[in-house]
Amino acid sequence: MKKINELQAEEKSVLTKMFWNSHKVFHNFNMTKMEANGFTMTMSPAIESIYKDDPEAKKEAYVRHQAFFNTHAVAMNYIAGMAYALEKDYYAGKIPESTINAVKASLMGPTAGMFDSLFFNCLRVIAAGVGIGLCASGNIIGSILFILIYGVTQSVCKYYLTVLGYTSGTEFIDKVYNSGLMSIATRCVSILGLLMVGAMTATTVSFPLNWTINVGDTSVVFQDLLDAVYPGIMSVVLVLLMMYLIKKGKRPSFLVFCILLLGLIGAFLGIF
Amino acid sequence: MTLSSALVCAFVYWLMRYLDNTTGWDAMARPIVVAPVVGLVLGDFKTGIIMGASLEAIFMGISAIGGAIPADALSGTVIAVAYAIGAGSEGAMETGLALAMSIGTLMSSISSMFTPLWAGLAPWWEKEAAECNPVKFSALNWIMEGVRGLPQTVVIFLGVAYGVSGLQTFLNVCPGWVMTGLHAAGSMMTAVGFGILLSMIWSKEIAVFYFVGFILSKSLGLSSLGIAVIGACVAITIFFVEKHALEYGQRQKEGASEADVKENNDEEEFF
Repeated sequence: MKKINELQAEEKSVLTKMFWNSHKVFHNFNMTKMEANGFTMTMSPAIESIYKDDPEAKKEAYVRHQAFFNTHAVAMNYIAGMAYALEKDYYAGKIPESTINAVKASLMGPTAGMFDSLFFNCLRVIAAGVGIGLCASGNIIGSILFILIYGVTQSVCKYYLTVLGYTSGTEFIDKVYNSGLMSIATRCVSILGLLMVGAMTATTVSFPLNWTINVGDTSVVFQDLLDAVYPGIMSVVLVLLMMYLIKKGKRPSFLVFCILLLGLIGAFLGIF
Repeated sequence: MTLSSALVCAFVYWLMRYLDNTTGWDAMARPIVVAPVVGLVLGDFKTGIIMGASLEAIFMGISAIGGAIPADALSGTVIAVAYAIGAGSEGAMETGLALAMSIGTLMSSISSMFTPLWAGLAPWWEKEAAECNPVKFSALNWIMEGVRGLPQTVVIFLGVAYGVSGLQTFLNVCPGWVMTGLHAAGSMMTAVGFGILLSMIWSKEIAVFYFVGFILSKSLGLSSLGIAVIGACVAITIFFVEKHALEYGQRQKEGASEADVKENNDEEEFF
């Protein structure tokens, strides 16, 4: 694996800029794309560097990284570093476009769980342990230590993970490319990506039906009917419907508006 | 509480929320950091620090108090500390926390009203990103992030300054179905994001795995790490199967031409 000092000056400068931008991970977090804006800003130095001579491809790259993204703040750096490597290789024609978002999708879920436990449940508790004792006696050092242990540590990890994501990404892709098995590898990555998006559909998308039909003396809860077919089936239907409409060329703003309308009309009719 | 402490609460809340979302640390929204800031602004730094310790312990579940704690540590801390420093009496912090509860509930109602609004901006962000002007995009993010915190900030200010009942009446004017509708829309909004992501990685041959992932999570209740491990095993297996198939196919082609050459050689030797 390439060491940090073996990287070229340009790569190092891009990675450093990506590191600084990555702190804005939660800027304009929203339910549709979640951390997409933070990810776009993190990727911006990489995109500017790779596509400086190709405005069309640059635009596509920006839109590509506006895709849904959600993971722990520190984990995002690893994935962003890897995405930098992937973008370079896409531009060099080594991998198809879909691989980039497939890799992001595959890594999002598992890294979120891992890093949440590490930082939120473990490091934070340690930092609080140190800080609470000092603050209880009125010493501000407690709060400062808390910020150092819990906060600054995250930033240090972010820097090294950005570099690690980049170097492990380039190394892996080079190995696969040189073996001539790239198309098989990209298909396998897509399999993993689809699997994870399916899993995320189950946990994040909900169709909050609250509809009871009264027929005479009996009442039927509509959600139970759907659950009998398959629990959560409406989440899948909704996501696939959205995908179908996107492929048909409907614009995302239209779809967001439709969902809003669906929510309001549904609530008015009493089904939500 | 006075108007000035309401202003302090609102300002510190907005500031620490902005700071936390700009560092991504989660540390800047914790009581142990926020409480001293409130104390500093209100002129009683030391009390702020000490309360920060107690509140951090409470919000971590280490020390319990009679009654429930607010869900949101940031707003809870700001209001509790401001109230306690203002009241200056024993046990004022606990009363402040109780006050923070009702404001917190109101805040989350208002918040869910705004969720579809922020979610609806997603296509606009996409358009801005496509303009390939990173400086402008970054500036818009800096500004909009400040805007995004305003609804809750206003609620805190009004709740602290004028009490919760007025705000509650205002909310009750809104018909119930609007709130439910906005709430429902918010939870369905992620479908759009996923739809866009799926359209980028979908492929007919491997589409089935989307459903497998869904079932693994929904019916088996596996964690995403577990599903990722299973998925990696499946993907690696398929990789090797296809690799062997490719090599077999190549060997067949080479085998055919080798057989031809061998036949010719045999004929020559024969003759």
